[in-house]
Amino acid sequence: MSKRVILNFLKWGALIVFVVLFLFPFFWIVSSSLKARGEFFTRPPVWFPAHVDWSNYPDSLRRGALKGLTDSFIIAFSSMVISLSLGAPAAYAIARFQVGRENLPFWILSIRMFPPIATILPLFVIFRFVGLVDSYAGLVLSYTVFNLPFAIWILKGFIEDLPREIEEAAKVDGAKPFQIFRMIVIPLAAPGLVVAALFTFIFAWNDFAYAVIFSGSKVTPLPVVIAQFAGGHEILWGQISAAAIVAIAPALFIAIFLQKYLTRGLTMGAVK
Amino acid sequence: MLGTEEKRFARLMVTPAVGLLFLVTIAPLLFSLGVSFTNLQFGSPQPMRWSGLDNYVNLITRDTRFLSALWRTIELVVAGVLTQTVLGYVIASLLFRIRRGRTILLSAILIPSVISQVVAGWQGRMIFNASYGPLNDILARCGVKGPAWLASQQTALPTIFLTDTWQWTPFLALIILAALQSMPQDIVEAARLDGASGWSMFRFVTVPLILPVAAIGILLRGVDLFKTFDLVYILTQGGPGNSSETLTYFTYVQGFKFFNPSYASAMSFIQLILVTIAAKMFLSFVRRQRSF
Amino acid sequence: MVDPDELPTPPRMNKLFYHLTALLGAGALTLSSAFGELPKFNNVTVTVVGDAGQNMESLNKYADDFTKAGITIKQVGATFTGLYDKLKTDFVAGSGDYDMVIFYPSYIGDFAGNGYLEPLDDLMKKTPASVWNPKLDEVEPPYREVYCKWGGKVYALPYDGDVLELYYRKDFFEDPAEKAAFKQKYNRDLVPPATWKDWLQVAEFFTRKQGETLAGKKLERPYYGTAEYGARGFSYGWFLSRFASSGGIYFDENMDPMINTPAAVEALQNMVDSLKFCPPDVLSYGYEELKNAFLNGDVAMVVQWSDVGKKTADPQLSKVVGKVGFALVPGTEVNGSVQHRTPMPVGRVLAVPATSKNKEAAYWVAKYLSLDESPITVAANWSGQDPYRVSHFTDASHYKFSDDASRKDYLAATEANLKNGFPDLNIPGAAQYIDALDLAVNKALSGEADPKTALDGAAEDWKGITERLGADNQKKFWKEALSSYRSAGLLQ
Repeated sequence: MSKRVILNFLKWGALIVFVVLFLFPFFWIVSSSLKARGEFFTRPPVWFPAHVDWSNYPDSLRRGALKGLTDSFIIAFSSMVISLSLGAPAAYAIARFQVGRENLPFWILSIRMFPPIATILPLFVIFRFVGLVDSYAGLVLSYTVFNLPFAIWILKGFIEDLPREIEEAAKVDGAKPFQIFRMIVIPLAAPGLVVAALFTFIFAWNDFAYAVIFSGSKVTPLPVVIAQFAGGHEILWGQISAAAIVAIAPALFIAIFLQKYLTRGLTMGAVK
Repeated sequence: MLGTEEKRFARLMVTPAVGLLFLVTIAPLLFSLGVSFTNLQFGSPQPMRWSGLDNYVNLITRDTRFLSALWRTIELVVAGVLTQTVLGYVIASLLFRIRRGRTILLSAILIPSVISQVVAGWQGRMIFNASYGPLNDILARCGVKGPAWLASQQTALPTIFLTDTWQWTPFLALIILAALQSMPQDIVEAARLDGASGWSMFRFVTVPLILPVAAIGILLRGVDLFKTFDLVYILTQGGPGNSSETLTYFTYVQGFKFFNPSYASAMSFIQLILVTIAAKMFLSFVRRQRSF
Repeated sequence: MVDPDELPTPPRMNKLFYHLTALLGAGALTLSSAFGELPKFNNVTVTVVGDAGQNMESLNKYADDFTKAGITIKQVGATFTGLYDKLKTDFVAGSGDYDMVIFYPSYIGDFAGNGYLEPLDDLMKKTPASVWNPKLDEVEPPYREVYCKWGGKVYALPYDGDVLELYYRKDFFEDPAEKAAFKQKYNRDLVPPATWKDWLQVAEFFTRKQGETLAGKKLERPYYGTAEYGARGFSYGWFLSRFASSGGIYFDENMDPMINTPAAVEALQNMVDSLKFCPPDVLSYGYEELKNAFLNGDVAMVVQWSDVGKKTADPQLSKVVGKVGFALVPGTEVNGSVQHRTPMPVGRVLAVPATSKNKEAAYWVAKYLSLDESPITVAANWSGQDPYRVSHFTDASHYKFSDDASRKDYLAATEANLKNGFPDLNIPGAAQYIDALDLAVNKALSGEADPKTALDGAAEDWKGITERLGADNQKKFWKEALSSYRSAGLLQ
């Protein structure tokens, strides 16, 4: 066997191992979502439920997961849009024009370093004052606290990595700064935009700390709904699992959808 | 040289983001800072008193629970960053080397990073359950007696470390993969023609080229690891005893169980200072690596 | 033709007419009260907040009655561990968003003492009594005096009578071979342990290795005598089970902590010793794991919440249906007789925030849940509520058990435990004191510290907490609590 075949085999072998490791808990969640009440905490553990019981899904949706889905989607999508549309220009300005030298970007990052626990209470008082508790706007606003710095830093990294020559050439050709930004930098930094878009959505979609304090009866994000399935004396494992799968689905679709933009930017690098 | 029009353009591009951030963070941060200099305690009828640096001094010199939580968190950050970076790189370079099926494999591997920490925590409770969980069942079938995972002081924090690594390595892998894909091929080709391969290729070509982007990912992971809270909240509540109590969890206990905002704020600012120092050190290290 | 209405009614007809109307009116009134009277509110919205899930399910089940009374219920769910945060945040910020709150009575000192709650005495006295009177006199004294009142006033109505209970495998305890073996080894009869000393003996007796026999069958896996609540959060409750029955109490009259007395150390030592007879991962056992250990048939006896009793009879969840005995949680011998004190951890009560804008309607919803439909609620499997009234125990028809004997035993044991109930600490700062105690208990369980050192540490913490909260105020609050302990008959 040639060296190449062995290497190929090892390569694929390692990848399969990783996939199995990372997907195993996911499989377990799917399996749990289809179990009946008595199939949890058994010995030996139930790997494949005796009868596939789909009822956990409509049951969890009925108990609030459906509203949780829509609420979370509205909030996460809005947060993603805001983070990208404000973050991309800011990242460009910082990366290429050294606005604020080193202090500004570091200050932006440091916002993310502060544990949210400490700011929740004062933020709650302020939000109450302006009537933003239990509102979509309130949660979207609080998510900018960590999403916007994240987007700015990711995009800053990708933009700094781009070869300057293309932009210089365009400038020499008489292009305005904004045109350069829109037509050259953005397409080239597409991988960065993908990562930023995906994860600002995910962070807002999955957040629990802010959601639990700022939600109420009008706005019920999905993580809070899921947490409510864990009552004091009865943990609804089946419904938690079903709701978790429901929670993963949109995020996964966005991840798959955005992936093809990961590689696109690079082929445009040769355009002069 | 930047012309005035360009400078104006740049400032305009930055203002909306900075303005929004300033608005949403400045008031709570100032409030937190101010409160950390008092002895404010919600629910206690006694009046609020200015106490200067008392909270800070107490935390650093007398509060052993705080110091051990801090130490535990540092361990978690160092172990987490190292492991996730190495694993992330391995996965990214494996994915980099294949053409077909990359999308499917990447999407599959990304699933943990897309799951909410709360969900990961709940599933962890089930999977790591020593008597009824699937993990020990598999180990038993292989003839190994599984450890008590969340039920033992020695393994509680490592279990949290494992869960976090499982969840966030794909995130780093994605970022590193994107960085690998952004490598200018002409430099890589030139190096290969010069005879670079294996370790020297990695050390002198790949690393500097991916470092700007990869470093951001690593930095963000490190900062987030410092704030590990959700997993502790769901999996162990800091137990058994205190063995898995992280800094942010202890801050939560002070702030939200005991309603001691003054103490919690002081803890948060100490945390902020420490993370800032660590981040600055990391960034200057990266900057030095870049110059080649 | 003369119009009959124009004719004057003769005097005798008048009298008859009035009598008839009065009779009919009285009849109507009695009929309506027989159907459980519903007041008439004018389309009021009552916002209720509590821990979501089965503990708020009753609001859904009785929604029709609320609608008939002219009330719309809006539910806001908090998480089980996040309830305090949510309520406290709202109270501190003065929001006034909630009309009725469901919370764990351990917070009553904090909430009532700080003025967040509306005193209910006046509302309770309104007429007609069938609508407004919550019949608190039929609630067991420990629960009523300590969990519903503060400073002599009523602030909350009972909703969930959580109390611990001893569950054991009746079939093993009645097995002739086991009984003989026990008698031979310990020279007394095999019965559910009456004291904590007995507890260790019985637990040791039933702890067996794989391959040994139990009730005639060979064991495929190691078997354990018992399991304890080893996880962080409520492990203190299992320490209290031992501590309280020896006469222990949280503080003395001067608010010096009493949790590190020799009796306390002995109590904690008993719990640590019990671990020898528990499954090896017992330190991660929370409510779920502890319940499952018994329902799966892995342990011979367990102390758990009273609702587990209902679950033992559910064939979907339990592998030991019909094999379960129910008893008083073990006590301690004091001055020649055995004294029992059963902790009542968690529990739920209903209250009206002082800032509510719909106090009457909110109070009525609370009273309705606490009294009218409560016999069904506490027996049902869809609710998380447990009995707390005398009437809950006299009418056994709602409880679903496979056999009458089990049902009777369960109710008798639950009632006995409630009569001897020992309350959670309920003064302001309770969360802090309890956390410090729980940490100490957990450290002793994990072997990080020996019981004396751990409890001494907790006592030091408690002194510090009292200082930080303001010693004078805390002493005042504790004196209030002590007087309610006295009226509940908990102090000698």
